[in-house]
Amino acid sequence: MKDPTFWILARATGLTAYVLLTLSLLAGLVVKSRPFGRALKAASVVDTHRFLALLALGAIGLHGLTLTLDRTVHIGLSSLLVPGLSGYRPLATGLGVVAAELAGLVIVSFPLRKRIGLRAWRKLHWATYGVFALATAHGLAAGTDSSQPWAFSLYLGAVFAVATATAWRVFTRPIRPKGASRVQDSDRPLAV
Amino acid sequence: MYKILIDRSLCSGFGACADLAPDIFELDSGGTASVRVGTTDDPVVHDAAAACPMAAITIVEEAAA
Repeated sequence: MKDPTFWILARATGLTAYVLLTLSLLAGLVVKSRPFGRALKAASVVDTHRFLALLALGAIGLHGLTLTLDRTVHIGLSSLLVPGLSGYRPLATGLGVVAAELAGLVIVSFPLRKRIGLRAWRKLHWATYGVFALATAHGLAAGTDSSQPWAFSLYLGAVFAVATATAWRVFTRPIRPKGASRVQDSDRPLAV
Repeated sequence: MYKILIDRSLCSGFGACADLAPDIFELDSGGTASVRVGTTDDPVVHDAAAACPMAAITIVEEAAA
């Protein structure tokens, strides 16, 4: 009998990565829309967003590592790098590979944002939606547990949460304090 | 009076400050926030500083001249 340890770990780390990715995306969405007002400081939410993203990347790495160590489906290192090479559900696995590589690109781009250019970096950040869509499709199509009600509910809940937070982000404008700005002229603007 | 300081090395162009106080903050062509004025008596600058995702805005309270 084959040892199922790595197979179980691969499934667990895959689901963990998906949950962390979803939480990171949700944290990123509330940075600017600020549905909790002053209760949450924007800078703290960004720190949480980045921390969750790094944890998600770590979980994705463990997902790949445990898949290569597992002997149930025989996924080699090349299959983890090149989409479609896996003999096990090649399309569904390939979606996961693209999602992981895109996630890595988005996360690594943060410290390079000044070099890339802020506008280009922000455009690249929109790829996170692609990562989420690909990860959802990958999980549903390749995941052993996705037919289980609890796992399907998890995917459904994640999609609902991201859709709701996106709608909030799109349809709400920042709340400006009452009263017009009273600007005082000065010698010149200051920046450090 | 409030003196506004922006750490441009931290600013990542989220634009929350310009959304909240467009008379005081703007994004330059590179997407980095800058101030239209150096000082203001509008307390909205505190909201803008709190809303900055990168904590790049510092408000220094000064005595009026």
